[in-house]
Amino acid sequence: MGDFASFHPAVSFVYYVLVLAVSMFTLHPVPVVISMAGAFLYFALTHRIRVTVSDAVFYILLFILLSLTNPLFVHNGETILFFMNGNPITLEVFLYGMAMAGMLIGVMYWCKCYQIVMTSDKFLYLFGRAVPRLSLVLSMALRFIPLFKKHAGEVRRVQKTMGMYAGTGITDRLLFSLRVFDSVAGWSLENAIDTADSMRARGYGLKGRSNFSVFPFEKKDLLMLAVLAAAAAAVLGGYFAGVFDFSYYPAADQVAFGSGLIVQTVILSALMLLPAVLEIKEKIKWNYLKSGI
Amino acid sequence: MSRRKKWNIVILTIGVPLLIAAGVRLFHDRRYHLISLAIVLVACLPFFHFFEKKRTDTRTLVVVAVMTALAVTGRFIFAPVPGFKPVTALVILAGMYLGSEAGFLTGALSAVISNMFFGQGPWTPFQMFAWGMIGLIAGLSFLRRLLRQKWILLAYGVFAGVLYSFLMDIWTVLSMDGGFRLSRYLVRMASALPFTAAYAASNVVFLWLIRKPLGDKLERLNIKYGIGG
Repeated sequence: MGDFASFHPAVSFVYYVLVLAVSMFTLHPVPVVISMAGAFLYFALTHRIRVTVSDAVFYILLFILLSLTNPLFVHNGETILFFMNGNPITLEVFLYGMAMAGMLIGVMYWCKCYQIVMTSDKFLYLFGRAVPRLSLVLSMALRFIPLFKKHAGEVRRVQKTMGMYAGTGITDRLLFSLRVFDSVAGWSLENAIDTADSMRARGYGLKGRSNFSVFPFEKKDLLMLAVLAAAAAAVLGGYFAGVFDFSYYPAADQVAFGSGLIVQTVILSALMLLPAVLEIKEKIKWNYLKSGI
Repeated sequence: MSRRKKWNIVILTIGVPLLIAAGVRLFHDRRYHLISLAIVLVACLPFFHFFEKKRTDTRTLVVVAVMTALAVTGRFIFAPVPGFKPVTALVILAGMYLGSEAGFLTGALSAVISNMFFGQGPWTPFQMFAWGMIGLIAGLSFLRRLLRQKWILLAYGVFAGVLYSFLMDIWTVLSMDGGFRLSRYLVRMASALPFTAAYAASNVVFLWLIRKPLGDKLERLNIKYGIGG
């Protein structure tokens, strides 16, 4: 078994849908913490330390902001900490704000991780057949962006050399950017017509054409799908059995580790930590192989 | 009634209430943000479906891709001017010169793609819907001609800035509370006023600046190649 990104695109996609749905399902502290931990660990393992830290600082600030603003609007809860402008500020409101912020940040981290694994070629492979036109437009736009950026850079340099809008004031910068943009727009729209005619000449949209892809569906993918289905069923069962019920108002519940919650904690941990564990396994394997050279 | 309208009505009248009912029954009416995400996604479906079924000209397809890419690249090109994002202005022009479907598509895809560079998140569907709607409205047949007049176009730019801001504030409130609280929404809208004003102002400046150069180019595509009708 390779790293997490080596699974079939369909499997990766199902995994993300499942994890995002589970993370957004509940505000019970245990799943919220597991979800945040899983996503953060995978993100940290796939990024450089500097990126991870600067990112984490932003999300910690966001966490504080989100949990502190909740008491300004909500005055439920029975454990009053203090009064502000005559309004009671309660402990429960803080706890709820923290759970909400934790859930949100977990979801945001999963979305960031989604981009590592579900690259655009995988996305197009999955949806290219169901929505061929949409995915064609999407893939073309994705290719055009670096192309336009490169062209914009060329235009910019030429304009600079010619001494256009050399000032540093905001009007000059705006007009300069506009000039570059205008040039790129004219060039790209004219190109678009050529591209379309060329596509037509090569038979785009005719019947019976197939696409090339390099994503075989292997045994491990089938296994993984079965595991995901089982995990989904178990978590859903737990949800309807009330394991994840957790009320913050009027008084916050205690986290009671009964047998149901322990089982769910194990299942959720296995599910959410899977990408990180596979990544660590690959890192160890790589280092082991490297040491043998 | 056209096919598209039928599809729209079917999906919006059956799909959305079903989702709300499911939300009330399964999640005890508490997971508003999950349900609202699903609703926004479902609301986008009829447009995408229609685009797939309609025999769109290959040239229009490529021009939509170019407009989307320009909207995203514009964010990089205008990076030296802080606070200026041309996406909304480009989506409006795409709508008014290429039609409703192309406008919606340019808006929705610009949201998806620009978030690939600037950060994907649960707000992406809301952004897709907001920008998509802005493009769609600009492409409505009675508005298309009106928008050729400078002042009406600039006024629509202001409207689009306000609409975008209000739609995104719904997401902000839902994400903070897990439910919709009108008081918080109003406070949020009030506190976001400077941003709303900045959006609107940047739209106006952009539309004012690129209305002529880009509009002429799209007009030419229409006259010479019949794109956008």
